[in-house]
Amino acid sequence: MSLGIAALVTLAATCVLGLTLPKTVEQAEYSRMIAIHPGIAWTAYVASSVTALASILWLWPRTRHERWDLLAGSSAELATLFTALMLITGSIWGRPTWGVWWVWDARLTLSALMLALLLGYDALRRVPAEPDVRARRSAMAALLALVVVPVNHFAVTWWRTLHQGRSLDLTPKDSLDGSFLAAMTLGFLAMTLVYAWLLVHRVRVARLEDARDDLALEAAIDERRREAIPVAGA
Amino acid sequence: MWRDAVLVAGKDLRIELRSRIALQQVGPFGVLVLVLFAFALDPDRGILTRAAPGLFWVAVLFSALLAVQRSLAVEGADGVRDAVRLSGLDPAGIFLGKAAAVAVQLLVLEVVLGAGVVLLYDVHIVGIWTLVAAALSATAGLAAAGSLYGALAAGLRVRETLLPLLLLPVVAPVLIAATRASESALTGTSFEVSAGDWLGLLAVFAVLYIAFGLLAYGPLLED
Amino acid sequence: MGYVFAGYGITIASIAAYAGWLLRRARSLSSKP
Repeated sequence: MSLGIAALVTLAATCVLGLTLPKTVEQAEYSRMIAIHPGIAWTAYVASSVTALASILWLWPRTRHERWDLLAGSSAELATLFTALMLITGSIWGRPTWGVWWVWDARLTLSALMLALLLGYDALRRVPAEPDVRARRSAMAALLALVVVPVNHFAVTWWRTLHQGRSLDLTPKDSLDGSFLAAMTLGFLAMTLVYAWLLVHRVRVARLEDARDDLALEAAIDERRREAIPVAGA
Repeated sequence: MWRDAVLVAGKDLRIELRSRIALQQVGPFGVLVLVLFAFALDPDRGILTRAAPGLFWVAVLFSALLAVQRSLAVEGADGVRDAVRLSGLDPAGIFLGKAAAVAVQLLVLEVVLGAGVVLLYDVHIVGIWTLVAAALSATAGLAAAGSLYGALAAGLRVRETLLPLLLLPVVAPVLIAATRASESALTGTSFEVSAGDWLGLLAVFAVLYIAFGLLAYGPLLED
Repeated sequence: MGYVFAGYGITIASIAAYAGWLLRRARSLSSKP
């Protein structure tokens, strides 16, 4: 599948390019994270947005279709993966600058909250239910989380500006030369392609799972019917 | 809608008055959390006094979880939820009623916990009206969001573990804003972000979730 | 350099593991009678 090949190739190229970037004065070799972290962060936002949009499309009666629910759920799972990776890579990248693994700056804190919201959504989706019920429940949860995002943004940024005047900008000053920008851009492309490929396959798995559940339900009903027939004849 | 809301709120509060669960269990739980904080932190170095606003609101949040669970458990018996749904009551009214009942219980709890904090953590209140405003808007938001997520998780067997996971991240901004507003009420100083801004944020949160409840509670009940 | 490698490594490994799970799951779900 050409999407898969493209994703694989760009991902490999990103890694090679990223790991061979020159060291910088401020961050030594840590500035090599620029190849993957921004791309991962961007993809995490895209994935979350897709979930939100798909949930709205499902809830809107005129556009309601099973495909939006499958898309929302699949994209949310990917958003969880990429948000977690964003936190990990961000934490590693910041270590030489901050000296610690974690600081409560606005961006990291907001990302951590985002991860918590996504984990809740994933957990809700795993509760066994009919597809329609699950779809409505998940879409509502997605909207409830969407509503809080702007409030979160203000709450956390106001809160952290009290304590940290400078915003922690991870890009080292002397690095905006060609190779760093190229690596970062390639990283954006690679992560987006990876997400797209994973999404296609996750939706496929979701469809297969729903189909299998339907078959299992029908089989159970058939068995029940077969049990009932002799009794009716007696 | 208002009549239904008053009906439902009255029912929930009457059940509470008769069973006294909030009084005898949720309240003591909240105070217990305050005491546990004292055990965990060092009471002698002024940490408790400095952290008091945050500790207070964390205790309120945990107690709110219990209050919301209780609000759901009241209708947990088989068929009762269906009966409520089929009763012809306006869903928006049901939402307002249940949220109002939770809010009333939370407000009473906050008074108790507030007294606890003043006594146990050696706190002096400078701006009482800021505190009152913060408590009112934070509680409105907590009750609304709690009732919404409660309805979402109502029939599920995993409700007890799922509800905290769903609700707490969403009310995190309430914790942040209420604590900052309370801080300025206790120290009397104003920071770059004024207490008024925090109160505004709390109000926005409350309005958003109350509006969501009014619009969406009906479909939520349909599961 | 260790931590940078770890960062890249965790990223690649988790993506690969997830992709592998997806492909295996799809295969097992579509092969059932």
